Amino acid sequence: MNLIPLLLAVPLCGALCTALCGKKYGRLPHYIALAAEAVTLALSAAALLGGHGLDDCALHLIGFLSFAANGFRLVWVPLICFAFTMSGLMCPEYLSHSHAPARYQAATLLTLTGTLGVFLSADLFTFFVFFELMSLSSWLWVIHEETDGAKYAADTYLAVAVLGGLVMLMGIFTLWNLGVPMDFTEIRFLWDYLSVPQGMLYLAGGLMLFGFAAKAGLFPLHFWLPMAHPVAPAPASALLSGVLTKCGVMGMLLLSATLFRWDFRWGEVVLGLGVVTMLLGAVLALCSVDLKRTLACSSVSQIGFIVVGVGLKSLLGLEDVLAVRGTMLHMMNHTLIKLVLFLAAGVFAMNRGTLDLNRLRGAGRGNLPLMLCFLTGAYSVAGIPGGSGYLSKTMLHEAIVEYTQLAEHAQGVMLIPLHVVEWTFLFSGGLTLAYMLKLFVTLFVMKPAETGKPLRMNAATTAALVVPSAVLWALGLSAHPLTDKILDMARPTLTDGTMEHALQYFSPTNLSGACISIAIGLAAYLLVVRPLLTREGNLINIIPGWCDLESKVYRPFFLCLLPNAAGLVCRLLDCSLDGFVVLLRKAVLRDLGRPKRAVAGLWLTDALGRLCDKAVALLNRTLRRKEPIVRRRSFVYSFAEKERELAAAGRLITASLSFGMLLACAGLVATLLYLLF
Amino acid sequence: MELIWLPFLLGVLLLVLRPLRENAKARTAYVTASLLLECGAAVRTALGPGFSLTLGHLADNLLIAVKVDSLSRVFLVMGAAIWLLAGVFAFGYLRDDKRSGWFFVVYLLAFGALCGIACSANLVTLYLFFEALTLTSSLLVFYPCTHEAAMAGLKYLFYSIGGAFLALLGIFFLTRMNEGLFFLPGGVALYTEAVGGDGVLLLITFLMLIGVGAKAGMYPLHGWLPTAHPVAPAPASAVLSGLIVKAGVFFAIRIVYYIVGAETLRGTWVQYAWMVLALVTVFIGSMLAYMEPVLKKRLAYSTVSQVSYILFGLSLLTNAGMWGALLHMIYHAVAKCGLFLCAGAFITQTGCTRVDDLRGVGKAMPVTTACFAAFALSLVGIPPFSGFVSKWYLAIGAHDAGMLALIGPAVLLISALLTAGYLFPPVVRGFFAPARPDTAEAPAVMTLPLVVLAVLTLALGLASLPLLEILSPITRAVL
Repeated sequence: MNLIPLLLAVPLCGALCTALCGKKYGRLPHYIALAAEAVTLALSAAALLGGHGLDDCALHLIGFLSFAANGFRLVWVPLICFAFTMSGLMCPEYLSHSHAPARYQAATLLTLTGTLGVFLSADLFTFFVFFELMSLSSWLWVIHEETDGAKYAADTYLAVAVLGGLVMLMGIFTLWNLGVPMDFTEIRFLWDYLSVPQGMLYLAGGLMLFGFAAKAGLFPLHFWLPMAHPVAPAPASALLSGVLTKCGVMGMLLLSATLFRWDFRWGEVVLGLGVVTMLLGAVLALCSVDLKRTLACSSVSQIGFIVVGVGLKSLLGLEDVLAVRGTMLHMMNHTLIKLVLFLAAGVFAMNRGTLDLNRLRGAGRGNLPLMLCFLTGAYSVAGIPGGSGYLSKTMLHEAIVEYTQLAEHAQGVMLIPLHVVEWTFLFSGGLTLAYMLKLFVTLFVMKPAETGKPLRMNAATTAALVVPSAVLWALGLSAHPLTDKILDMARPTLTDGTMEHALQYFSPTNLSGACISIAIGLAAYLLVVRPLLTREGNLINIIPGWCDLESKVYRPFFLCLLPNAAGLVCRLLDCSLDGFVVLLRKAVLRDLGRPKRAVAGLWLTDALGRLCDKAVALLNRTLRRKEPIVRRRSFVYSFAEKERELAAAGRLITASLSFGMLLACAGLVATLLYLLF
Repeated sequence: MELIWLPFLLGVLLLVLRPLRENAKARTAYVTASLLLECGAAVRTALGPGFSLTLGHLADNLLIAVKVDSLSRVFLVMGAAIWLLAGVFAFGYLRDDKRSGWFFVVYLLAFGALCGIACSANLVTLYLFFEALTLTSSLLVFYPCTHEAAMAGLKYLFYSIGGAFLALLGIFFLTRMNEGLFFLPGGVALYTEAVGGDGVLLLITFLMLIGVGAKAGMYPLHGWLPTAHPVAPAPASAVLSGLIVKAGVFFAIRIVYYIVGAETLRGTWVQYAWMVLALVTVFIGSMLAYMEPVLKKRLAYSTVSQVSYILFGLSLLTNAGMWGALLHMIYHAVAKCGLFLCAGAFITQTGCTRVDDLRGVGKAMPVTTACFAAFALSLVGIPPFSGFVSKWYLAIGAHDAGMLALIGPAVLLISALLTAGYLFPPVVRGFFAPARPDTAEAPAVMTLPLVVLAVLTLALGLASLPLLEILSPITRAVL
């Protein structure tokens, strides 16, 4: 029996059930969602362990949706289900006071369907369909808290998701136009790469890269990520950061493995973006003073590490196996690490109601399981030997070294940029250690800033933290028996190469790379964080407020400049025919026999009155739209009446004796003045 | 056959029988029964074996004839479903309106004209029913009897009749080339040496396309849409935007694919000019909708843009392009009808017409706003909602369009982005703003059609392959 339709249908049905629960049934949506997630986990784990059950298949919905379950898909599907289940375990406690559990869980299950579909898809069409489902339903996570910050971040998230999706779709259309097949296997094996104009191919690739980068949080499209991830509830942030960004990365990896298998330019661009993102994220994380924001910036940085591997995959051509393995393992590591760390951050938020590191100082003291789990995540992501992050970073580092060696033999490749890449890699790795050390010391070592009870968490939350931590240790400590086997399973769809001999992870050369990174990290912590980023015991953010790509560049440009300019042109075109008709009616087709409007009062009062009427109407349309000025009578008539009163009074005055005497006086004064001068 | 006289009879009966028109209960019962009868007749004709009939002669060579072919069937079923649902909604929308009898008179009559358009067998008959539809539907715009409505109705008449005159001009010319002008898939043989050559034929075709483009809201004759839609009652705007505008599209299909022939136009300046005009309209419409603060006017501009998606697909003269166009015709009818009905529900329940005033409406009217969201997702083209499928075919149909092969899809996607920009904010601000305390959900007679349409917009997208099976005989025959 093929499990793929079932795997997609279970969360969909679950989403429907939770959505129908509404607000009445309290925690029931959490349990339904957890059950659906557990079922998908069980199904996919059974398929993974049993070795069959996930076969290629097609569904006749929307169009032809085709699925495959081989190589990396076989490994990733259970991992995704695992991450969703762990996050689901925490939901009943974390969201116990939430206002809309049904909405949250429906969004979660829809996102699960979308994510599974993305990873199971066998062609670009299917990939896109599920990518959009995932992208849009996860928007409900971001806006879930309904605070002003959440709404602002959600607007940005939605805009980026829609824009990214449409640009990606344009890329797919461009590919279609070039005659590229949609099926990944066909692109990889059958399609003749050299028969099309390269410029168009890069255009298509660039457009799709935009879509993937927008989801993965790659520079310069990273800006939404440090905003959106912290505002979502912690179980959702864990998935946003750990799983959803991987959909974008997976797209890039698939393109690198199919369309741009041996393409240097593609590889160089991706590598360059990865390097910038890696460093930028690390620096932002180091300066951040908010727990979840630090973790989100860390995600940006770690995605940079992964994308460096994706770029190397294209650059290394046939020798790409190390890069692919490193990329794969770092993706898996990052998913598990961010799961643990964000859920741990959730425990802080749940107990103390804040994410400000200065207020949370020392808050974690006294909760040993939490501390150990957080330490696991921090240890692993920092790339210290023994953690699983060390394995993946070592492989990526080895891949860079390998490419540098290849480049030395080849002609025309500049070596200096490659050395820069290697040192940036080590430096960013060091910064990772520095900001993780900052978090750990602040949360668990320092003296508490606020007195309070130790953090509490229930058994389910503890399980959600402990199980992924255990998996991380298992991956890190049993490199050859376990990790290598998993990577062997993931390899076939992405690369043709094989490892000639198992990599010696703990050889002196590899350990020395880690040691350099650790030294940089300790130096950064001791020389930068402690003296420069701490003032009077409080952490400070030294990045000035105007350094904000979104509010200073993107929003003004896309929301103000562009629509107004284009809108003006469109308005002119829109009015062209109507304007022409109006012009004709004013010129040669004037209405005849139209009765002339009677002038009330003098022409002056009439004109003045009409002017006032128009001014009031204009005010009512614009400034006073909320509370319009109500006048029962037109100004024309009021003015005409005033004028008549004035005229009557004038007649009275001019007819009187006093007026005559006044005039005589004036005449006498004039005569006197004449005589005097 | 009853399809032509039944709506006329039922409408006139309501017109002449005063007690029927003025007693609310009797009227509701009569109109419900009539709508069911009319729509039942339309569906029965569509599913039946088909017939062909000559009704009379205008002159010895001007026949009035009806015939049901596969395109008519699609149009009939679509029309019947939308007309019925908007009619049900109208009961709720006009429940406090003393004059609503008049509305239903026109509503019943106009359906007859629409069915006549669907079943016409030749260009002359189509033109007659087209004008009949213009006249009856203009009464729907005049219905509110305000100064604004009168001006808008006149503008609608001016544009529609002016456009139809261009079509009539074409009929005069074409009749000289082919007597009768009966529709033939793939086009009738028009071109003979005697009448002056290809150039004239192309020019005439282009003028006819511009003319029927007035109904379909294609630039430069789109101006009536944003004026007429906001003033008409919501169910009227819904059918105006959902169906009556599609009559222009239908006319264009008949001219291009059944009279002139796709082969005659392929690669000529007419094809490219039509394509460019459609793309310009797509962009203008969505840009202006994005800038528009009044909800119904925004939706009207959106119709301008979305209907030109269909025209763009038709102008491609490819299989996939025509699939996309026909699918989008159906999907847009469902979604846009739904959106206008939602706007109507918002207006009756809150009294607000501007988008900014609708903050928090989602918490008070969750069903209506959720339906609005579904329609919005469909129009933006988010899978699995239906609009995505049609846009997919439209874009891949542009494959052979030369220069425009990439520009076309790019314009469609920029427009989709703008569509998201003008349709998502009402939903987002509706659901995620403080609730409006004084607003209640619309009554069931209004929400039920909305829910049905929302389900349709999702289901038709999921079931796009069976739908294509139905549509492919049409494309096979004409291309």
